[in-house]
Amino acid sequence: MSTLLLKNVRLEEAFEHDNEHIVATRTAIYDVLIEDGHVKEVGKNIVVPENSKVLDAQQQLLVPSFREMHIHIDKTYFGGEWQAPRPITKGILTRIEEEQTLLPKQLPTAAYRAEEMVKWLIAQGHTHIRSHCNVDPQIGTKHIEITKQVLEKYKDQITYDIVAFPQHGLLRSNVEGLIREAMTMGATLVGGVDPSIVDRNIEKSLQTTMQIAQDYNSGIDIHIHTANTLGEFEFYKLIDLTKQAKKEGQVTISHAMALADLAQPQLENLVQAMAAVQMDVTTTVPIGINRSTIPIPYLYDKGVKVSVGHDSLTDHWSPYGTGNTITKLNVMAERFRFMDEYSLSRAWKYASGGITPLNDEGERVWPKVGDVANMLLVDGVSTAHVVARRCPISTVISQGNIIHQQEVGELKGEFR
Amino acid sequence: MKQWLTNVLLETGEYIKDNDTVGTKVELFHLEITEGVISQIVPATQTIEASPNVTDMNGKLLLPAFKEMHNHLDKTYLSLPWKAVIPSKNLKDRLAHEARELPILATTGKQRAVAMIEKIISNGTNHIRTHVNVDPYIGLKNLEGVLAALDDYKDVVTAEVIAFPQHGLLRDNVPQLLREALRNGATMIGGLDPAGIDNTIERSLYETMDIAHEFNVDVDIHLHDGGHVGYYTIDKWLDMVEEAKYQGRTAISHAFALGDVSAMEQHTIADRLAQQQVKIMSTVPYNINRVMPPIDLLSEHGVDVHFGCDGFFDSWSPYGSGDILEKVTTFADISRKLDERSIRQTLKYITNGITPLDTNGQKVWPNINDEASFVFFDAVSSAEVIARRPLERTVMSKGKFIH
Repeated sequence: MSTLLLKNVRLEEAFEHDNEHIVATRTAIYDVLIEDGHVKEVGKNIVVPENSKVLDAQQQLLVPSFREMHIHIDKTYFGGEWQAPRPITKGILTRIEEEQTLLPKQLPTAAYRAEEMVKWLIAQGHTHIRSHCNVDPQIGTKHIEITKQVLEKYKDQITYDIVAFPQHGLLRSNVEGLIREAMTMGATLVGGVDPSIVDRNIEKSLQTTMQIAQDYNSGIDIHIHTANTLGEFEFYKLIDLTKQAKKEGQVTISHAMALADLAQPQLENLVQAMAAVQMDVTTTVPIGINRSTIPIPYLYDKGVKVSVGHDSLTDHWSPYGTGNTITKLNVMAERFRFMDEYSLSRAWKYASGGITPLNDEGERVWPKVGDVANMLLVDGVSTAHVVARRCPISTVISQGNIIHQQEVGELKGEFR
Repeated sequence: MKQWLTNVLLETGEYIKDNDTVGTKVELFHLEITEGVISQIVPATQTIEASPNVTDMNGKLLLPAFKEMHNHLDKTYLSLPWKAVIPSKNLKDRLAHEARELPILATTGKQRAVAMIEKIISNGTNHIRTHVNVDPYIGLKNLEGVLAALDDYKDVVTAEVIAFPQHGLLRDNVPQLLREALRNGATMIGGLDPAGIDNTIERSLYETMDIAHEFNVDVDIHLHDGGHVGYYTIDKWLDMVEEAKYQGRTAISHAFALGDVSAMEQHTIADRLAQQQVKIMSTVPYNINRVMPPIDLLSEHGVDVHFGCDGFFDSWSPYGSGDILEKVTTFADISRKLDERSIRQTLKYITNGITPLDTNGQKVWPNINDEASFVFFDAVSSAEVIARRPLERTVMSKGKFIH
């Protein structure tokens, strides 16, 4: 039995009010005992059990760890030398054509770079990674093999999903057979990309995707970038198929840009239909001048779960990206004007699979006895503080094991 | 006083990479600095004379030091414990909250400004333009704190200090307070939303221009007023600049209205801004209720655009890293600058227009007699610095290492 005792951790206890406003988060110092990957006890002055590992948190804040829900670890420049993308001349097809020669050329370094990215994501506090992984005519299932091998190497530190992703179009590049092969090789979800603008056959593209998911008893995570009514049309098709296949709760739409475009009542109707089949959404929180951001808090409140992902750290698609989810939440907060303690504190759930230390009513709901011990120590005094001031992570704990520690300099707490 | 910086990486041109994309050519040089300016630039293959003052830069890339062009050193909570923004219903409510807090914060003015200056410098900046509240609640107290802080750093950063009527110009004795501020160390006159705050556009602008004339100082006006009321305010200001022959001496900060009007109106006013040499200061806002001013369009018309971090971690906003480079990274990202050339050019917004290579990839900086104010990065091009935003930086101001 392995035990870890975290001494002197700061836990959020309640919100503090000034008249009608929530103005601060009350915290207190506790010890947390973890046994076999789960929280065994939360208390004050817990006696060190025999043979227990002990970590003195020195009053750092204990928070739920992150889940990276949309990334491509198989085709990154990360860990390699600087390379700016080439200018876009033909929309998404510029990149698809480019991949036909680029990815085979990158194969010798693909595993190394994927691993560099995994290590980086772990250092940024992620204990789960969902990676999309190219399956295309040129690369076949080689990226699936590499991604599986790299993520498996870290299976004691993180959990993961591999999405078999037909980047060049399921129909357009004729890869149904390869996707099926990928599913037998360890891909855990069936992917997809723009049934209309890439595959040019919405019906058949989505049906085939769902059929594969049924045959391999898996979920789906499909990239849909299309705008307003076209996206809306595709989402409804996918909702119907989800119902027919009884895949409620197993279907994710990535990007889902159309949700940023629709006005009421179309938006509400669509969101209700998505919520009814427990369809969820991942987003990179795009803030581009010509792009809108999907209404993240609205979606969540209406029952459509939203998770964030970095998509790319640096690759032939984009040279930007930090992999730092605290920064991502900070950008989201600024985008949506979460400025006060309460709204800032609510941002955490988009990166943690829904977990916040305090629930919306301000009651402590995490960590509780029995919770999986996926947690971070951060030099800050509340989740709101961490998001607003981008406080640094010192320790990453996954299933009760310390998997990463890093120097953050002198602890500054509330002065960070 | 002479010193050498050896093995400095400079961008010298462009080349076509094996994969057919444009790359930036870099070469190693030794730089001699004399009295804060560059006195020699020699290839690193050349041996330099023996000198007691040599720093090996180990191949670090040299970029011009950054300029922070819109800040509020007086407002920040830095150095005080964490505090989120108090929810407020509207701007009036927010201003009322600030008014209550001002006297309390005034007692730690210097300490907070120092914390902000430290943060700004460590990110590569050696010039700060700061607005400072001058208002009926604290009079000149914030100015005193900011000036005291800047005085401690006078060998390290240059500064422009703007007397800023945050709570309105045409009320109480604010015009007199502003004049007093200009007699007591403020170097520029500010302004704020003539329509939204003063409720009189022309009188507010005239009063601002009068004070500017009286003290022969430059002007930088905060303009959040959106849509056509903001557009008219800028247009009216341009008339006044033209009449007063104040070309090159004024700036509009934020200028959200420019993002709200039609493309044709944007082109028209951009031409006028360029003619009257009115600068635009942007904090690259991306909150969902705002449309950003058309920065690329303004630039193409020859308008000088500069970025600033704005006030941060204060009663208005809990965010902000104090890293002006992050503003450029964000701008390049959200305006979809993807290739080496287009990314590289965005550096100009934080360097007072300087980029090592021009738009054609020709080397234009640094040259002999240029000021020796630099930031050094472990990187192979400006584009890499902008896209990847390395945090490790060495900063030199006028020949002196300041970080």
